[in-house]
Amino acid sequence: MYVIITYDVGEKRVYKVCKKLREYLTWTQNSVFEGQIGKGKLTQCMHELDNIIHPQHDSIYLYQVNNQNHMKKTVFGREKGFDDLFL
Amino acid sequence: MSDHYIFSRGRLKRKHNTIYFESGEEGQKALPVERVDNLHIFGEVDLNSKLLNLLTKYDVRLHFYNYYGFYTGTYYPRTKNVSGFTVVQQSMHYLDPKKRYYMASAFVESGVHHMLRNLRRHKEKTGSYVDTIQAERVKIPDGRTIPELMGVEGRIRQTYYRSFNEILKSDFIFTKRSKQPPADPLNALISFGNSLMYTTVLAEVYKTALDPTVSFLHEPSSKRFSLSLDVAEIFKPLIVDPLIVSLVNNRVIGKKHFEDFEGIVLLNDQGKQRFIQEWEKKLATTVRHRTLKRKVSYRMFIRLECYKMIKHFIGDEPYRPLKAWW
Repeated sequence: MYVIITYDVGEKRVYKVCKKLREYLTWTQNSVFEGQIGKGKLTQCMHELDNIIHPQHDSIYLYQVNNQNHMKKTVFGREKGFDDLFL
Repeated sequence: MSDHYIFSRGRLKRKHNTIYFESGEEGQKALPVERVDNLHIFGEVDLNSKLLNLLTKYDVRLHFYNYYGFYTGTYYPRTKNVSGFTVVQQSMHYLDPKKRYYMASAFVESGVHHMLRNLRRHKEKTGSYVDTIQAERVKIPDGRTIPELMGVEGRIRQTYYRSFNEILKSDFIFTKRSKQPPADPLNALISFGNSLMYTTVLAEVYKTALDPTVSFLHEPSSKRFSLSLDVAEIFKPLIVDPLIVSLVNNRVIGKKHFEDFEGIVLLNDQGKQRFIQEWEKKLATTVRHRTLKRKVSYRMFIRLECYKMIKHFIGDEPYRPLKAWW
């Protein structure tokens, strides 16, 4: 499935969350990651994030799209993420 | 799971427990280590053991290609799916000439099936070639030795490649198959495609308990992972050749995507990237599987082929090679 994760966490934990997400998904914008991921890997990732954040202060939003054809993405201005097939 | 292709020069490194690619002009880019399956390195890239340790942990394979885009080697993580029993059984099937011939002829038979399948799409132009191939095909089951079988396969392939002259619309002409080095653009395309096919098959074989060095059609003594060559026989006409035809006929790749180094013709970087882009799309295409009753990608079909071979080796179910039914 295709997921988009956005997070708004305390300054001390921003970097930790960012680092963890980089292991699983592609960075698109500040505090936004997206990409294709399996169910198991997603659960694992969310669990690890859960250990980092403070439930009272921080929030992480997870958007899931089961069929990528149902999603249309338009970019205004500069595209900050990168086409990841070629480097 | 995804593959990445590195064309620029730079440094691959481990940072923050994931993979980073650092290149001069563009800075650093992070690759999600959990999602990467294979890294194909075409450019000049530095890396260190710290990275290799990370790749081993996450089962990521590194494939290297030389300056001309030919496959040179693979770094593959310590195999975890080892099964001595399977390897012994696999070797036994090699040692028994009858059993070996059964496997070898299965690969050829399936390859020919897919070649004919391609030609039938252009029936009115390729009728005579189909007849020639059909006449050769009859000899596959009752041949006696592997070299004879390889002769039959070689003649069929020659006829098959010659028929490309009828199928391809642009001024790509097939005269003679030349590899190492390819002498014309069409040969360059075929060589590059086969190179990719070989690594893709190898990557899938590594995910199973098969030993990639023990092969049946090709001689296993040739210092290569010859089982991948065997399995690639099935998939070359199924994946590579239709891709080449569509790339040329839809003018995605043209004369300007080739470079001529004094008689050695090769794809340039832009040509390679266009090829790979379509290649990845093709491998991700899914077909509904008749017995599994779910959608299966072309890449997965390669692995299923390996599983069927294991079943054959351990005496579970006789091996019947893939014959595209769609």
